Amino acid sequence: MSDELLTILRLCLLGLCYLFFFRVLRAVWVETRTPKTTAISLNSTQRLVITAPKQNAGRSYNLADEITLGRAAGCTITVDDDFVSQMHARVFQRADQIVVEDLGSTNGTYVNRQRVSAPMVMRLGDQLQVGDTVLELT
Amino acid sequence: MTSALATQRRRTELGLIALAGLTTALLYALAGLGRSASLPADLGSFLLLVLALGVVAHLAVRRFAPHADPIILPVVVFLNGLGQVFIIRLSHESGIAGELPALQTTWTALGVGAFVATLIIVRRPRDLAAHRYTFGLIGIGLLILPMLPVVGREINGARIWASIGPINLQPGEFARLALAIFLAAYLVENRELLQVGSRRIGRFEIPDGRHLAPVLAAWGVSLLVLVAEKDLGSSLLYYALFVVLLWVATERPAFLIIGGGLFVSGAVVAWRIFDHVQARVDIWFDPWATRSGSGYQLVEAALAMATGGLTGTGPGAGEPNRIPEVETDFIFAAIGEEMGLMGTTLVVGAFILLIGGGLRIAVQSINPFNKLLAVGLTTLMGLQALVIMGGIVRLLPLTGVTLPFISYGGSSLLANYILVALLLRLSDRVALQTTTAPAQNEQATS
Repeated sequence: MSDELLTILRLCLLGLCYLFFFRVLRAVWVETRTPKTTAISLNSTQRLVITAPKQNAGRSYNLADEITLGRAAGCTITVDDDFVSQMHARVFQRADQIVVEDLGSTNGTYVNRQRVSAPMVMRLGDQLQVGDTVLELT
Repeated sequence: MTSALATQRRRTELGLIALAGLTTALLYALAGLGRSASLPADLGSFLLLVLALGVVAHLAVRRFAPHADPIILPVVVFLNGLGQVFIIRLSHESGIAGELPALQTTWTALGVGAFVATLIIVRRPRDLAAHRYTFGLIGIGLLILPMLPVVGREINGARIWASIGPINLQPGEFARLALAIFLAAYLVENRELLQVGSRRIGRFEIPDGRHLAPVLAAWGVSLLVLVAEKDLGSSLLYYALFVVLLWVATERPAFLIIGGGLFVSGAVVAWRIFDHVQARVDIWFDPWATRSGSGYQLVEAALAMATGGLTGTGPGAGEPNRIPEVETDFIFAAIGEEMGLMGTTLVVGAFILLIGGGLRIAVQSINPFNKLLAVGLTTLMGLQALVIMGGIVRLLPLTGVTLPFISYGGSSLLANYILVALLLRLSDRVALQTTTAPAQNEQATS
């Protein structure tokens, strides 16, 4: 095979490699242009998700309104657990922050395994524990 | 659960993988033509193999992480195919064992297997965070494995190998992943402590002494790797991983500055004390002074890339076998010789796309552990590529690490496929946290 032909083939191949490269770039462009992934407004998407016990895992609660946790039927999240008080704790928004407050429970409310003694601000990824139930702020 | 987003992303991914497979197969054909003026006999099976492995990985993503980023996998398939072409091409000439291509193919298949297994096993990134101390222990264990008497091996002056039967592995490649997982989880847990407590010196906020302890510990571990295993590249990677994660977790640039300062002082001390570090710096400044000795490899690499020029000699038509270690650490120079500046630019561009993809996942992640892990994994892969490419073109002192997905090397391939699987898992979570929110809303109110 002649050298000229090989050179032409070689350049065509480099062109093909760059075609691949630009196709990928175009895909990146499409990805970054799509608005859905950029619309992460912290306040509207913050939610509490149950991670334990297993039978309730995955249930999620919007934090737009105040959430109450307890054994009482009137609570937003009713927990069937002897170690949970009737009105155990509440989670609410104040000045764009998520705050958890213990409502005088017997066995305490825990954030990241630390007992909540006064109302405290929760951050994304924090683990809220009431009795055996664990909720994660996501 | 297939949303419009998932369908669109997987379609993009499959198309790009097909194009990547086709491109590398044509590259393989051209390498055969350049060498012996005939098409390689196994061209068909090569194309089938590249496509089959790519499609298997794609199907696994489609099944187990349907919303994941569509760009990362095709770029990986392309880089892996490019590397395979060059390893086959290099093995045709003397100086390199003929069984390397078959071994590399086996490792690639194992890598794709590990990729699929990781996607299946790690369903939620949270599971990784839950086992953080296990990963920490595994990481440290793998790190010291090469130093143990029976399994540890010293090859080419670096004690980074462990032998199990006939298989030689570099446990350090896997230790990096385990430590990245551990550090991300550990820092998410402790970042408040590291964020508060600071003294002001002039205009700068300096963290308290006791909060600096982990940075100093990481510095010590990196130096230990440097001294005991004589592995400059890995030592740099561990240290950079830790400093970057600390900086991102605390959002305090002070850690970056302090980390950089410690790095410079550590580097100066290492340069004064250790001969092998000194030698690296000497050949960095002037490889021509030891043209036939320690600088030989860098000089030959420079000559190879100079021969390549803008568009290269063409695959199969150059003489990259003159460079020692060309199939592993120096494969970038072989690409420079036979595909020229255009080819090397393409490789750099591909890594930039991978890094961009990884950081995009980090930016979009809401969960702090996912965010930090994405940063850590991207740092590992990107920095490894930068360090070896920069070393070959003498932008940086040469440190022996592999070029991810391209270089010959089983451990490196396996570890990097696992890394990419983890990134795609994180990416899948990103899409879930935004696209399925309305569905969960209904469930919560009902």
